[in-house]
Amino acid sequence: MRKYWSIFKISFEQEFAYRLNFILWRVRNVFQILLTYFLWSTVFSNPQTQIFGYDRTKIITYVFGIMIVRALVLSARAMDVSTDIAQGDLSNYLLKPLSYFKYWFTRDISSKALNLIFATVEFAVLFIILKPPFFFQGNPVALLAFTLAIVLAIFIYFFLLFLISSIPFWAPEIGWGSHFLVTVVIIEALSGSLFPINILPLGLQSIVMATPFPYLIYFPVEVYLGNIGGGALIGGLMIAAAWTGVLWFSLKFVWQKGLKVYQAIGR
Amino acid sequence: MVKKLKKYFKIWWMMSRNSFTVVIGQKLALSVFLIGKIFRFVFFFGFLYFLLLGNSTLAGYTSNQIIFFFLTFNLIDVITQFLFREVYNFRPMIINGDFDLVLVKPISALFRVLMGGADIVDLITIPPLIFLTIYFGALLHPSFLSTLYYVLLLANGFLIATAFHIIVLAFAIVTLEVDHTVMIYRDLTSLGRLPIEIYGQPLQAFLTYLIPVGIMISLPAKAMMGLVGPSGILIALLVGIVFVFVSLKFWNYALTKYSSASS
Repeated sequence: MRKYWSIFKISFEQEFAYRLNFILWRVRNVFQILLTYFLWSTVFSNPQTQIFGYDRTKIITYVFGIMIVRALVLSARAMDVSTDIAQGDLSNYLLKPLSYFKYWFTRDISSKALNLIFATVEFAVLFIILKPPFFFQGNPVALLAFTLAIVLAIFIYFFLLFLISSIPFWAPEIGWGSHFLVTVVIIEALSGSLFPINILPLGLQSIVMATPFPYLIYFPVEVYLGNIGGGALIGGLMIAAAWTGVLWFSLKFVWQKGLKVYQAIGR
Repeated sequence: MVKKLKKYFKIWWMMSRNSFTVVIGQKLALSVFLIGKIFRFVFFFGFLYFLLLGNSTLAGYTSNQIIFFFLTFNLIDVITQFLFREVYNFRPMIINGDFDLVLVKPISALFRVLMGGADIVDLITIPPLIFLTIYFGALLHPSFLSTLYYVLLLANGFLIATAFHIIVLAFAIVTLEVDHTVMIYRDLTSLGRLPIEIYGQPLQAFLTYLIPVGIMISLPAKAMMGLVGPSGILIALLVGIVFVFVSLKFWNYALTKYSSASS
């Protein structure tokens, strides 16, 4: 456990080695939130407006919720695994007395901690400047379910990232390409970061909800808002848990197969 | 002048051919990026479509007008990415000191680092995008003058986009950082995917005058809708020219700070 604590601290400090880089990354997040905030603010400019099951307070809370949930779920370092594989650096880790999965999971947690601190500050600053209406969830069951949904989302994202990062075992040239396709494009759209999934027609919604992506952002935020409760909440948590299991077993399978074809190219 | 232009076009064509050959050699990567770009467009387009199904207008604009704003943003974004993709590769050149090799060549260093690697993935997406822009533009029933203003302001938008890329390059020399700077430019311009009126003040003024995203993207679309008069066009062109002038000054200043590290 001590070695992972050391990895956590080193990884945390490493982010500060490239301070400008990190700050600019956070600035980018703020721009993305501003676009979403002002878009929904315009759509709900009339306080009486009720569309897609949201009122003004809930949709603005959804946008602000994205800030915190993104920091917790989508902040990660594990995308660098693809570079390790493509450039043969994976060999260095395979020789060390540590679990490669736990190493990256620790680094992810470190990244999440740092991003959460910054996201909280940005949240507070934007909250003071924009003075948005905000829905505070007071129901302990909803808060507990929200926490559970976040934990599952963190695991789903970690396994997804690792699975995508395993592609360079077979095709080293598409390491970044596959991340672009899945994490930048598909996850960004289907996780609920860009828009709440329930603006889609019912048929499309059902298809998207059968994938792991909405359980990263949309589902936890909806649980916080209290829009999902009772049987739907339990069902949603079970689907998220099932995806966590499926992705974990898929990762173990793919990783074993990958290691067999790994040639440490570049070493 | 014509001779010089011919020379630079020849060099650009040669560099672009090389760049295309490299990408075509990696067919799998080409396909993945192409699919990614198409998906990204379709997702946002779909989002706007479904959003406007539930709420027929946005900031006073109809669905077709909102889609036209989005298409104009994409047109400027994709064409500038196609032309200026090399900007994304500039940081390693500065960090390794390989920029020295560019500086000693008898062509403009700015031209080389700005336009030295046209992107074939973006090139593939340009024709369908132009088709969609013309299609949705025609649905707005513009007058001949509005269309002319649109084309003029679109050209001005490309000029401002060029200036932005020059500023990003100059930043790379001064700060050794370009990856996020260019992405911040992308994020800033992506605020122009929708009409600038949706943003509250002072963000709206900031996006119109200080960082002229509004003039670069929103104004051409508004001209097509007949919402911009000749004075607006003149101001926009003036901002475009001043912005290019400032960017070139900044580039020349940045060159004096180049330390040729690691070379």
